[in-house]
Amino acid sequence: MSKIKVGLPSKGRIQEEMNNFLTSAGIDVKKDGGQRTYVGSFSNFEGFEIRFLSANEIAKELNSGNLHLGLTGLDLIRELDSKDSSNVIPLLELGFSRADVIAAVPNSWIDVSNMKDLADVSRDFVRLHDRRLRVATKFQNLTRNFFIKNNVNNFRIVESIGSTEGSPSAGTAEMITDITSSGKTLEENNLKILDDGIILKSEACIFASINEKWNEIELENIQKFLRVLSAKSMAISHIELTFNCHKKIDNLELNIFREYEGFFLNNFFEAGDNVSLIVPNNNSSLCSEYLISLGYGPIKINKPEFIYQNNNDAWNRLASVIF
Amino acid sequence: MNKSVNNIINALGGTTKLANLLGVNPSAVSNYRQKGFPARLHLKIIALCEEFSIPIDNDFIDKSKIPLKVIKSNSNEFLTHKSNSIMSSLSSDGYQLIDPPILVPADKVIDRLGETIVDRLFIFSQKDGIRLCLRPDLTIPTCLYYLDQGFDGEKKLYSYFGKVFQFYDEEENEPTEFTQTGIESIGDQDSLNADVEVFVKIYNALKKEGINNFKTYFGDVSLFQEFINVLDIPELWKKSLLEKFWNEDEFKILLDEISKKNINNDKFAERVYSLDIESALELVRGTINSSDGSFFAGRSLEEITDRLRKKGESYSLKPLSDSTKKLITEFLSIKDTPSLAISGLRKLCKSLDRSLLNKIDEVEKRFEIINSNGVDFNNAIFGAEKGRDVEYYSGFLYDFAWNNNNESIYIGGGGRYDDLIKLLGSENRIPAVGAALNLKKVERISQIESL
Repeated sequence: MSKIKVGLPSKGRIQEEMNNFLTSAGIDVKKDGGQRTYVGSFSNFEGFEIRFLSANEIAKELNSGNLHLGLTGLDLIRELDSKDSSNVIPLLELGFSRADVIAAVPNSWIDVSNMKDLADVSRDFVRLHDRRLRVATKFQNLTRNFFIKNNVNNFRIVESIGSTEGSPSAGTAEMITDITSSGKTLEENNLKILDDGIILKSEACIFASINEKWNEIELENIQKFLRVLSAKSMAISHIELTFNCHKKIDNLELNIFREYEGFFLNNFFEAGDNVSLIVPNNNSSLCSEYLISLGYGPIKINKPEFIYQNNNDAWNRLASVIF
Repeated sequence: MNKSVNNIINALGGTTKLANLLGVNPSAVSNYRQKGFPARLHLKIIALCEEFSIPIDNDFIDKSKIPLKVIKSNSNEFLTHKSNSIMSSLSSDGYQLIDPPILVPADKVIDRLGETIVDRLFIFSQKDGIRLCLRPDLTIPTCLYYLDQGFDGEKKLYSYFGKVFQFYDEEENEPTEFTQTGIESIGDQDSLNADVEVFVKIYNALKKEGINNFKTYFGDVSLFQEFINVLDIPELWKKSLLEKFWNEDEFKILLDEISKKNINNDKFAERVYSLDIESALELVRGTINSSDGSFFAGRSLEEITDRLRKKGESYSLKPLSDSTKKLITEFLSIKDTPSLAISGLRKLCKSLDRSLLNKIDEVEKRFEIINSNGVDFNNAIFGAEKGRDVEYYSGFLYDFAWNNNNESIYIGGGGRYDDLIKLLGSENRIPAVGAALNLKKVERISQIESL
């Protein structure tokens, strides 16, 4: 049996956030032979061989089939693989390192607020300047596909290595596409995001490469590993509401599922039972209000540590492509 | 044991002799006896059989793969009879055979063909950072060659033959390099004459090789331009319609937009339009400064103001009438044999300005002259919309497609591109027209036809 090769980020924000995530999930990452090496293992999961790489390299190595699994940003995978038939499939969204890949133009372009304006301006630009509008970016493929889909055809991509947001003021491009979580650096550089200029909503995910050989490894270890990660990411993005269901209301479960994406831990319950309801974080207050309005309460809100589900979706996704 | 392969090996003198001829190990040839010839040797084997007058048993290779007839050219390159013959008909009558550059500046190609071509280019960087690419066609390199010779408007007739390089989707199963041959007529002020001459030459080259079952699909983008110019609609709509012609989707959206009263008016744009130009500039400048846009990044204040004024103006214009919208749609949908298409255009445009009818006469005259050069239009179509997918041509254009059952194979095409050379760096607008054939496709078709 061979080891499961998994790539984890070795630097940057994504590494910090991953460390917090794994620690809280009780997964212990060991670096073999001290802090400065780039290989390691999990102390509580057998059969894994960790390679510490940059998030960018993880994307590339997954694509070329040198890793079974990898933790990296969705943006980097999508950028590598512009075609629909992908060799790298996302198994699990982890909920951290969230950021958007966006298209932004200078604030001074007060006549441009959406991609349709941009299509117009880019056409005028060729005529007026005898060259195409330049777009500085680290995401050439994503940008090209997005622009062409939006009928913006008259542009030129200028590859940018770092600080893309400075390109327009430096005069090396007219506009940019870039990844941003808060939009703050864009503001500081006098750039504005186009209304419909969100190219991709990205976050950290676990990916699997279907190019790597899957037949000589212990799949059971992966199954366990994915189950723990899923339980943790589910717990991070959800909260638990507990209350006494002193009366039954018709379609309560259905309404809560439809309106608030919530589900009850109790398979069956009757009037008078204590129930436990799981809801996405951002729906918690609305859902609580709804319950109060129905006459329930008091409601206690807990932050769960793990939520294990019967279905191991991440594993099922992997199984559907490797078997 | 593979009987036909064995026969060929024996006829060519046996294992050792053939090993010498092919420059491989005798043990390899013994292997061929069992497994057949590898695909890369097929051409050589056919050439050898021809050289020694050995009849080829068709079983020994899959006919659909590479049953080409091969001769050895002087340039030490394998060329088929057909390719050679097409090349020599194209490089006659003063069409100088040139060898344009294989490496061309990537930025010039991308600027000309648009960012969509990037996916299909082989691009790499020089040490100084300048990006080069392998030529994706031969027209741009020929124009660069012309400029490189120091010409600026002189009449030159060129022919060429060579590899071009474009990535293709793996699913399409197309080669990433293929051989193109063609001609370009640069600087001929007599456009009608040049249009006809280039077309007849490329058409005859195909016919001469016995390729008959192809369809010619003609167009002329300048006809549409003239049509829009003579319509009784605001200049702003004309400009927009001409610009968007090249993109069918955008064109449809625009046509719908200008045919109905816009309700989501941009109040600011309306205000900018209502002011005189000086006050408008002042207003825009003030607005930009207060929105913290201290720099203009490539677009001037005048440019931004101008666009806002046009937006504002467009709200004040009367929407396109239903009859005009219908006229435009009908014009673009005309697609028929050249003579029927022309009479259809005449009928549709009979109440429009004389200059358009003159233009239609010109198109008809061009067909007549082509016809008098021995070209029949039994298998030809003229479409008013043809050519809008390649923002490259400026007038007459055509392509050749060979049809067999459900399969349609694009063989080649050509047309007029009067704006290209100026965009590539010349001082003046230089008239130019050219046509090219994909030799691989021509080969394939002539094989199918000869079966």
